[in-house]
Amino acid sequence: MTDTYTRRHLRLGWWTLFAVVGLGLGLALLRVFDVEAYLHPANDTRRLMWTLAHGHGAVMGLLHILFGVSFTLTPALAPQAPRLPSRALTAAGLLLPVGFFLGGVSFYGGDPGLGILGVPLGAVCLLVAVVATARGR
Amino acid sequence: MRLGWWSLALFLSLGFLLELLHGFKIGFYLDVGNEHRRLMWTLAHAHGALLGLVHLAFGFSLQAAPTLGSGRQGLASACLMGATILLPGGFLLGGVWVEGQLAALGFLLAPVGGALLAAAVFLVATSAGRTR
Amino acid sequence: MSPKRQPRPTAPPRSASPSRWPLAVLIAASLGLGFAAFSSFDPSTPEDQVADRPVARPDSGYVSSDTCQSCHPGEYASWHGSFHRTMTQVATEASVRADFDGVEVTNTHGSPMRLERVDDEFWAEFDDPGWEGDDAERPRIRRQVVMVTGSHHQNIYWYATEHERGLNVLPSVYLIEEARWASRSAVVLHPPNQSLAMLDGHWNAICIACHTTQGRTAFSTPFRSEAFRDQVIDTTVAEFGIACESCHGPAEEHIAAHRNPVQRYRQRLVDAPDPTIIQPTLLDPQRSSQVCGQCHSVWEFYDLEGERLANDHGLPYRPGDELRDTRFVAQPSVDRSSDAIRALATADPDFIRGSFWPDGTIRVSGREYNGLIDSPCFRDASTPERTLGCFSCHTMHKPDDDPRSVSEWADTHQVGAGMDSNEACLQCHEPIRADEQAHTRHAAGSSGSSCYNCHMPYTSYGLLKTVRSHTISSPSVTESVRLGRPNACNLCHLDQTLAWTAEQLDAWYDIPAPPLNEDQQSVAASLIWLLEGDAGLRAITSQAMGWAPAQAVSGTSWMVPHLGEALGDGYDAVRFIAARSLRQIPEAPPLAYDFDGPEPERRAAAISFLRAWREDPARAPRRAPELLLDPDGELRLDVMRRLVGRRNNRPLFLRE
Repeated sequence: MTDTYTRRHLRLGWWTLFAVVGLGLGLALLRVFDVEAYLHPANDTRRLMWTLAHGHGAVMGLLHILFGVSFTLTPALAPQAPRLPSRALTAAGLLLPVGFFLGGVSFYGGDPGLGILGVPLGAVCLLVAVVATARGR
Repeated sequence: MRLGWWSLALFLSLGFLLELLHGFKIGFYLDVGNEHRRLMWTLAHAHGALLGLVHLAFGFSLQAAPTLGSGRQGLASACLMGATILLPGGFLLGGVWVEGQLAALGFLLAPVGGALLAAAVFLVATSAGRTR
Repeated sequence: MSPKRQPRPTAPPRSASPSRWPLAVLIAASLGLGFAAFSSFDPSTPEDQVADRPVARPDSGYVSSDTCQSCHPGEYASWHGSFHRTMTQVATEASVRADFDGVEVTNTHGSPMRLERVDDEFWAEFDDPGWEGDDAERPRIRRQVVMVTGSHHQNIYWYATEHERGLNVLPSVYLIEEARWASRSAVVLHPPNQSLAMLDGHWNAICIACHTTQGRTAFSTPFRSEAFRDQVIDTTVAEFGIACESCHGPAEEHIAAHRNPVQRYRQRLVDAPDPTIIQPTLLDPQRSSQVCGQCHSVWEFYDLEGERLANDHGLPYRPGDELRDTRFVAQPSVDRSSDAIRALATADPDFIRGSFWPDGTIRVSGREYNGLIDSPCFRDASTPERTLGCFSCHTMHKPDDDPRSVSEWADTHQVGAGMDSNEACLQCHEPIRADEQAHTRHAAGSSGSSCYNCHMPYTSYGLLKTVRSHTISSPSVTESVRLGRPNACNLCHLDQTLAWTAEQLDAWYDIPAPPLNEDQQSVAASLIWLLEGDAGLRAITSQAMGWAPAQAVSGTSWMVPHLGEALGDGYDAVRFIAARSLRQIPEAPPLAYDFDGPEPERRAAAISFLRAWREDPARAPRRAPELLLDPDGELRLDVMRRLVGRRNNRPLFLRE
């Protein structure tokens, strides 16, 4: 049972890291080639959103890995009912970076696009996962 | 694991150094026109510290799932170590010299480091899929 | 009931010293950072504590552009790159373009001006321009430069008079493109034998209206109604420079309404005007152009009560209002005989001549709204869609699809993408597109086929150059003869006579030729203007001789001696422009000449230049009687003297 969670979250964590490293390389290319759609001051919002997607994605990947290894390395501190925190963390790991990314695809001046609505949802899921894991039940 | 902790120590120290540059209002870092240097060194600090965490995550992952990356841990580890040197190192150099050939060297190292990181993460991620 | 907790096992005793090391290091590091932060504390005085200059203090619904940036970064960025933002700035290393580091400026009034940098401050020592007593007793003063006007062509420096927030101007101006100083009076087209008033408090009372956002002069009594030092002065502005709220109106209500993200997204998603802010481009052409006209026009207060109201609270006009509700916009072309114009002309006999051509249309730059409202495309338009307005051609924010950089866009008068071509006019005059050549009578793509060159010629003057007239018109020899205003044809065909132009206009457009005197029939129009015209006309003609399209059409070799003669003009501005045009003529000998230098040196340099031209063995000027060059290539001095003898020498001060 716990081994399943370990494997699932290790897999999610490393694939998330792979995706955000890819995104990071993409952002670096946009900067190297001076792409206006990313670097023009009018596109500050896009730059911020995609940077946040990159940063939050990396942290979510690491959280997945930590969550996964906790079942094996510190079983006494791992949640006894992992279904809720696992699902919540999985949802947060998707909603947060994707929300930020979509918020930068189309945006309104200083306001991100409607994709940003995924971010508060993801934040709530993350909070649920973290609280449930902290409680250990 | 050891490399992860040392990487964290090094790049958290870099963060402390950047704080000092801010604190003493060092023109070399803060003046108008030096935005590029500020960005590069901030990126070096953030990527270095996060790569330290990735090292730790790699170490913990191997402990938790010893079959992870079976046969390819060595290659993944080498790629990760290379990325830890080249990615933040490239950003760091890109901020030291903002013009000329040495600046180009910085621009060259960081993407190479990024590619190594992508390779390392890919190796681990694909094997994580196979552990089922 | 929860079970009783087991007592925690006691940790084995450890020596105290090793565990305290990390704490000690942390405290030491924190102290180090704290010391660093303290020692690097920026000692500059906060804006609200500055006492010796006007301060930015947004209130009365104004919130400043800093507040707009977070929601409108693109608009903010293009505004930030425009010259509107830098109309007036606090003097800083970024805004002061001249070198102040131990520099002595001789191009000034009286004794040389000495400049120095003291840390981040700019100081100058000079003869007090605000002194109103005997000139021989004019005191020497040392003052701090605190504000800068202009960032495109000129840096004009304002110093703290050390009387409350009152400012006055340094007696020299820095010309940015030429990277040199010139005396304040030399950069304004004004009579050479009249001194240019540089009055204490001038910026606070006059410049503030159009160089800041919602400025409040706040003089205790009207400007110049009593001694400057007896007045209480508490000048404030919402923001220095022309900022967002100059055109969109005060934004406090807009900010408050859109703090709510639901409200903000609703506004973004519905395609409807936002009732909490003015969007000038959504106003009708009359009202939208008045937003620009609040500064780009010649206007006055209706009465002293209006002046006092603006003095205390700032100008009452808000974008979207009818401009004339709160101020008198002078338009002598239609209201010359009105009581208001008469009153202004009584108070200042040069009021009309200083800004308008004899027919009442505007002749100075920076007042383009006056030109617009006299244009048939605006005045006679039947529907809003076909009414020329400022936004027909200009944009206040560079559109995303405009490939130019912000600096290129700002440097080309903020015209929209493609609006620097015939497309601007073809928006309404679409039928001409089918066969432009039939209308223009010039080869397609040539400078003669440009709508701008024929209908908006360079006949307005300001900032030591000419700008396009914004009174849309058609070339008219009659107007050139009657009003002395150059026509577009002869501003390009500088080598042709008025008779030649009249003949072409008659043949092409059935415009009857007016009666012309012998000189108008036999001497190139440009030379008549250069020799006979008033100082403004001489400046316009000198500038045209440096204009690339005119040089290409008319040739340049023949211009050299005539521009060389203009180096001796009594008006500084004419000399400056003549010298600049000469430097753009390849056949001209090298010119070592300072238009603002001492008169004997200027004369010697001009004589030397003309001698070098005359003695140049390679000299081969085009010889033609209408160019006043005889078959030997010598100037026809007799005709030149006759024309100069008829020169309009009436003193002219153009109020740019």
